Amino acid sequence: MRHIISILVENEFGALSRIAGLFTARGYNIDSLTVAPTDDATLSRMTLVTQGDERIVEQILKQLNKLLDVVKVVDITEATHIERELMLVKVEAVSTESREEFKRLADIFDARVVDVTATTYTIEVIGRGSKLDAFLALLESSTPMEVVRSGVIGIARGDQLIEGSHEGLLR
Amino acid sequence: MQEAALPSEAKCLADAKEVQSTHPRAGEQMSGAEMVIEVLAQEGVDTVFGYSGGAILPTYDAVFRFNERNRTQPEEEPMRLVVPANEQGAGFMAAGYARSSGKVGVFLVTSGPGATNTVTPIRDCMADSIPVVAITGQVPRSAMGTDAFQEAPIVNIMGACAKHVFLVTRPEQLEETIRTAFEVARSGRPGPVVVDLPKDVQNWVGHFKGEGVLDIRGYRQRMEALATQRLSEQKAKDFFALLEQSRRPLLYVGGGAIHGDGAEAVMAFAKEHGIPAVTTVMGLGAVDSTDDLCLHMLGMHGTAYANYAVEDCDFIVAVGARFDDRVAARAELFAPLAEHVAHIDIDAAEIGKVKRVDWSHIGEAGHAMQSLLEYGRAFGFKKDYSRWAAHCQELRKRHPMDYKQDGDLIQPQAVMASLNAITRGEAIVSTGVGQHQMWAAQYLDFKYPRLWMTSGSMGTMGFGLPAAIGAQFANPNAIVIDVDGDGSLRMNLGEMETVTTYGLPVKILLLNNNGDGMVRQWQRLYFNDRFSGSDKSLHKKDFVKAAEADGFEFARRVDSREALDEAMAAFVGFDGPAFLEVMIDPDAGVYPMVGPGMGYKQMVTGDHIPGREIPEIGSGRTDKIDQSEMF
Repeated sequence: MRHIISILVENEFGALSRIAGLFTARGYNIDSLTVAPTDDATLSRMTLVTQGDERIVEQILKQLNKLLDVVKVVDITEATHIERELMLVKVEAVSTESREEFKRLADIFDARVVDVTATTYTIEVIGRGSKLDAFLALLESSTPMEVVRSGVIGIARGDQLIEGSHEGLLR
Repeated sequence: MQEAALPSEAKCLADAKEVQSTHPRAGEQMSGAEMVIEVLAQEGVDTVFGYSGGAILPTYDAVFRFNERNRTQPEEEPMRLVVPANEQGAGFMAAGYARSSGKVGVFLVTSGPGATNTVTPIRDCMADSIPVVAITGQVPRSAMGTDAFQEAPIVNIMGACAKHVFLVTRPEQLEETIRTAFEVARSGRPGPVVVDLPKDVQNWVGHFKGEGVLDIRGYRQRMEALATQRLSEQKAKDFFALLEQSRRPLLYVGGGAIHGDGAEAVMAFAKEHGIPAVTTVMGLGAVDSTDDLCLHMLGMHGTAYANYAVEDCDFIVAVGARFDDRVAARAELFAPLAEHVAHIDIDAAEIGKVKRVDWSHIGEAGHAMQSLLEYGRAFGFKKDYSRWAAHCQELRKRHPMDYKQDGDLIQPQAVMASLNAITRGEAIVSTGVGQHQMWAAQYLDFKYPRLWMTSGSMGTMGFGLPAAIGAQFANPNAIVIDVDGDGSLRMNLGEMETVTTYGLPVKILLLNNNGDGMVRQWQRLYFNDRFSGSDKSLHKKDFVKAAEADGFEFARRVDSREALDEAMAAFVGFDGPAFLEVMIDPDAGVYPMVGPGMGYKQMVTGDHIPGREIPEIGSGRTDKIDQSEMF
């Protein structure tokens, strides 16, 4: 099963490589990984998407909890949550017909054309991974020139906070 | 992104003045190297193992100056520096120091090759949960990443092996980093911590604060929660409810019982309720092996009676043990009659990792077992397990450890028995890895924790001699014996000289079978006697001459059965470094043996230990075992 794991880490030298290293060494896979500092500059937040049965995900959470840089780990898939991914797609848009078509498609997907040249469109799509996949599937007939995806970020719905929940620390 | 959040150096200095440290040198101006040594002293370090080199020179100089400054009488070394032949030796010496004393072992090596030579001991300490702090020199910060002379990416290399690696990039956090390294090495499940120390940071001069640690919020919070974690009354009730249902409970005791100071409480608990115990290779000594309740080691080469007790028990209580593959190769076949499994461990990740458990407690073994002992008394828990204990005694009688008693060749087990008759479970014993390691584990007694030191998880050949050296430094009055094999001893043979250089009364007992015996045993069992790369009968080494060359005044070889006991007594009794080589039967095997990937039902007890004759459907699986599953 797919799990989205949120990790608060010390914004320290080597923290990212340690977490990535844990996954490599123990043979867990990483579907996507995003990382950036939070509003607290001493902390970074990672969102990691992985696959595994209950046992594997339990081990992932426990092993992450052993790392020194890790302040907090939460499997946000356990509760209702919001996940988003950003994708930029560059497509060849030369004919009026294709330019119209891409525009229409972008509208349907709540996407935006963020860069235009005489021959290309760059379209920005935001949403769940499946929405981004669907957009790409529709483009299949006119293969995109370039695709870049940010990887998933996620947050729990409602008043649940990653800092506030003390569960998971000592599981 | 980090720099913005940093306190400036000026602010650090201001902070330092506010600190009310009791350290006599607090507030003094000193080099980074001096700070490192001051903090080591503050942490109670009296011995540092290590080999010098360009990138660590300032810190070696600081050790010298520390000793000059703090010497109260001539020749005294308040911080002893022990120099090995190879940095790997330093790592294992620190490990031996830590294993035998319970204190954090420290080693200090230079950058590049000095540091990479310690990768093996670092990984070894991680795998066996041994607290050590390794300080590795590094090229100056400005040269890092330029492929400088003796540069190696230690953070990356060690990051995969150690509990944690610090790279000191901010000299004003140096002393905090060293203190934190000790804290991390000791706390929770102990382990090795590496501090990579650029040369310019060692030469940096600043104000010594004399106290302070790094802010490692998540980790420290978790460790504090762990340290204050108490076994609740409800949980204890649940435990005793399971014990009440059980008629055949068995304690399965691992290294965590030793690290977690649990030996006394485990023994008291076993005695209180009359519950038999088996120990893992790391747990030897956690339960007095001369006690009737102790069934000695379980697992791949465990005693037949320990393994049969595991087969027969209906409730298994794991204390600081982790169901690893040498114990439970197939989790579903392990303790097949056990209706319940209880597990106490300091590491949450070990609970349920291999075997599903019905009851668990995350915390230190000592606290946990002591609590269970006290709750049991408070609840007035009484149940008679004497029939089960008698059954275990019967197993011991019916399936005792035994070996070939005839023939001219010396049997290795007889050598262990001869040693045991003298040391009686009270000597510190280290080993290499292979057959001799298993014979030592099977045939030697250990009355107390921290007497037995072996590379249990990593299985590092060459561990024995340097570990014995480290243990002798930590326990100058103890009898320390390295039981070694010819293959393992060769791996760190250079440390023979270290023994005599420091005049240590370390005893080296070499069981020589002219080859890698365990490898040969597997080749005999699984590779049709094709002894690829494991035969050393053509090797020319004269180990006795080698010992003499290194200054051993006692260096003898025994090759007849008659001479064994006399030589052993003279060897153990020798006042000073001693070396005894015993030429053993090269065809001797380690039995019992539970083949890789098998359950205890398929245990082979060999020609001399009576096994249970239970015809087992599908026991011929030996031939069909997938080679890739065997390790």
